[in-house]
Amino acid sequence: MALLEIRGLVKRFLGVTAVDQVDLAVEPGELVSLIGPNGSGKTTLFNCVTGYLTADGGRVRFRGRDLTNVAPHRVARLGVARTFQQVSVFPRLSALENLLVFVQQHQEEHLLARLLRTPRLRRLEAEAVERARRLLDLVGLSDKADAGAGSLSYGQRKLLAFAAALMPDPDLLLLDEPAAAVNPTMINQMKDHILALHRQGKTVLLVEHNMEVVMDISQRVVVLDHGQKIAEGSPEAIRRDSRVIEAYFGR
Amino acid sequence: MRRAATLVLVAAVVAAPWLVAAVVPRQQRYILHVLIFTALFAALALSYDLVVGHVGSLSLAHPAFFGVGAYAAAILATRAHWPFLADLPAAALAAAVVAALVGVPLFRLTEHAFAVGTLGLALVAGIVANNWVEVTRGPLCITGIPKPVLGLPGGPTLAITTLPGYYWLALAALVAVALLYRRLTTFRLGRAFHAVRDNEPLAGAAGIDPLRYRMLAFTIGAGLAGGVGALYVHYLSVMCPEEMTVALTVNLLVIVFLGGVGTLRGVLVGAILFTALRRGVS
Repeated sequence: MALLEIRGLVKRFLGVTAVDQVDLAVEPGELVSLIGPNGSGKTTLFNCVTGYLTADGGRVRFRGRDLTNVAPHRVARLGVARTFQQVSVFPRLSALENLLVFVQQHQEEHLLARLLRTPRLRRLEAEAVERARRLLDLVGLSDKADAGAGSLSYGQRKLLAFAAALMPDPDLLLLDEPAAAVNPTMINQMKDHILALHRQGKTVLLVEHNMEVVMDISQRVVVLDHGQKIAEGSPEAIRRDSRVIEAYFGR
Repeated sequence: MRRAATLVLVAAVVAAPWLVAAVVPRQQRYILHVLIFTALFAALALSYDLVVGHVGSLSLAHPAFFGVGAYAAAILATRAHWPFLADLPAAALAAAVVAALVGVPLFRLTEHAFAVGTLGLALVAGIVANNWVEVTRGPLCITGIPKPVLGLPGGPTLAITTLPGYYWLALAALVAVALLYRRLTTFRLGRAFHAVRDNEPLAGAAGIDPLRYRMLAFTIGAGLAGGVGALYVHYLSVMCPEEMTVALTVNLLVIVFLGGVGTLRGVLVGAILFTALRRGVS
């Protein structure tokens, strides 16, 4: 059974069909890229899957569970993590807190326990701090742990947002342009991080414009144009696909 | 050194009634009155800051919740003859329940629309207080609210009848509110509040339900405001509709933004500057 299954997804904005009857299945452990020209509906599709937009038609299933039009925080707690195209952090929290905030909702819901700060909660917090420090280390931000996230550079915030998405150990990771607008060194770094996740058995769905990254790391590529899926296949096949070439470069 | 300074400050605050009596015996009553107002305003401002400073929702409805608590305590104490220790939590609960009910539709509005919606609520609450004469006595005010009596039925009781006594009661209330404020705004709860305030879409991706935390801060803030309202009317022994006008919102906004929104120390400093200094100078 596919981990993520999208069937006939439709999203319209005032008569413009941004996502038009898209079917997409992602198997557990797969690394799939979603590409297409600007405005082809990639981010809209992400937003429909993660509850930020209400779909006008179709179904989204995650592990067989209906995700269609479920609120973002519920989608997140079910094990779907996402990053945003515009770099997105909590500017007034420290880098460390930015990570901590991503795991706590998955662990403790009870208001009273939080007010009383029960021993169990303190233990979970200590574990979370340890995990957060490891992840900061992984993305090379360990010396910034106590710095305000708003004071970090663009690239650093991007890495922080990526680490935050990993914090709850999600089953499915939706990455929206992780390599956009960062320097070449960092692009390679990001590529390595994504490949490492893939080797750990994580399932990744990637929206990316950098073709080098897409072709290098994806197992499968799905191409959207004007909201419709026009091609799907291995990176090599996509590179040669006439419809894809036409979508990008015109006839 | 810092520790010593803090200890001296705490001792001075606790011993204020005696210090005032020793230093300015002729103005003792007035100064204590100002100090009591300062403590109550500081507690009210902290409850307001939970909403404005920590989840970043610009609510202008705080006078309504203060008023609901004040009227609930006034009515329960004068007509139903409830003891102080029963009408205080009832007042807080009443204000919290009202907040929970109006919060559901109000939080469908965002940012400026939310501010205007809450302003509307505050205005409506004032109109109700003025015109629902059967319950609030309208502009005639509820009078004869008894002085607080601490203690359980059957056991020893302590009536708060003097100004120093009331000062310590107000101070204890301020400390309690400040402790709860600290608990709510640090560690995981505080982090969730701040996440919602700083970046709501990202908070959703972190698994945080923004509405839930907004409602939580709004309801607890309202409950605390209602409790302060009860203390306030027991002190003045009278409750009038003018106590809950929009002017109160303006004062609270000044206090919170003067000292530093979202910080315990800032709000306390703001309350002292606004209440004590203003009266001291004039």
